[in-house]
Amino acid sequence: MSTAMNFGTKSFQPRAPDKGAFPLDHLGECKAFKEKFMKCLRQSTFDNSKCRLQSKDYLECRMNHQLMAKEPLEKLGFKDLVDPPSSQTQKDTKP
Amino acid sequence: MMLPVLLRPCLRCPSSSVLFTRCMRTHTLHSEAEPLLRRRLPLRFQTQTRGRKSRSQEEQWRSRNRTVLTYIAAAGVGMIGLSYAAVPLYRLYCQATGLGGTAVAGHDASLVETMKPVKERVIKVTFNADTHASMQWNFRPQQAEIYLVPGETALAFYRAKNPTDKPIIGISTYNVVPFEAGQYFNKIQCFCFEEQRLNPHEEVDMPVFFYIDPEFAEDPRMARVDTITLSYTFFEAKGEPLPLPGYSYN
Repeated sequence: MSTAMNFGTKSFQPRAPDKGAFPLDHLGECKAFKEKFMKCLRQSTFDNSKCRLQSKDYLECRMNHQLMAKEPLEKLGFKDLVDPPSSQTQKDTKP
Repeated sequence: MMLPVLLRPCLRCPSSSVLFTRCMRTHTLHSEAEPLLRRRLPLRFQTQTRGRKSRSQEEQWRSRNRTVLTYIAAAGVGMIGLSYAAVPLYRLYCQATGLGGTAVAGHDASLVETMKPVKERVIKVTFNADTHASMQWNFRPQQAEIYLVPGETALAFYRAKNPTDKPIIGISTYNVVPFEAGQYFNKIQCFCFEEQRLNPHEEVDMPVFFYIDPEFAEDPRMARVDTITLSYTFFEAKGEPLPLPGYSYN
């Protein structure tokens, strides 16, 4: 798709994903979480900020069923959802 | 030739004292001899002076030539050095200006932890799915678009179904349009560049976990970009693994 021979024309350089590829969910173990996430998306007119909790749940399901390398959720950008909501300052400084 | 000149004044004054005359004689001799010498021996003198002038001139020319030669040699060596230094310098320039779609330097995994979402900039990400002509999978995105902001991680799903009676191994690659925005589009995890096997009549959900770098909001070239399209294409894998991209820029 992007031949690197022509200088000047901008070409796209695909990059490998940071944490590699997701193993396929052949058994559908996390399908329920996925359905919840899709439902939330449809209800919120596909606004991602409103469905972050559901996406966090889906990824947690994947981690629990060995479909994803276990990682602290802060590293996946869910710091605001993991922190206890009691402290006001932590709520304000959303990563 | 000098002798008759010197002898003439000697003959003129024979009676004066010896010392004085001698002194005087030498004085007068010298004073009288010089103009005569100058007049008498013009050619020889002139050639001598011309020779001295040309010698100094030659020396001058030679020294000037030497300096010019050293300057030229230094310039030549400088050019050769520049041509060697041009390779990393050009790479740095490309990274700084983002020409040719090169990856922006400073993209590391810890960014995900510390990045702050830029709430003011809402971007629409549309999803597209393609398959190669000979690939028999049904491959489509499960959502047509998602609205998100840079700095926020997002999840998106594709669905793939193998309608045939034999297992098919597929491998995919992706593309991001516009190309310049592609350097800000970071995938944390997806299903590309690795073989995925689907058994007959199997249907799976394929997630893509990604985010857009918060620096996207600060790039003046991205000021008018509101829509980013992520397009995946599945090919049938023949058994050899697809080489990971990024041979020279990663």
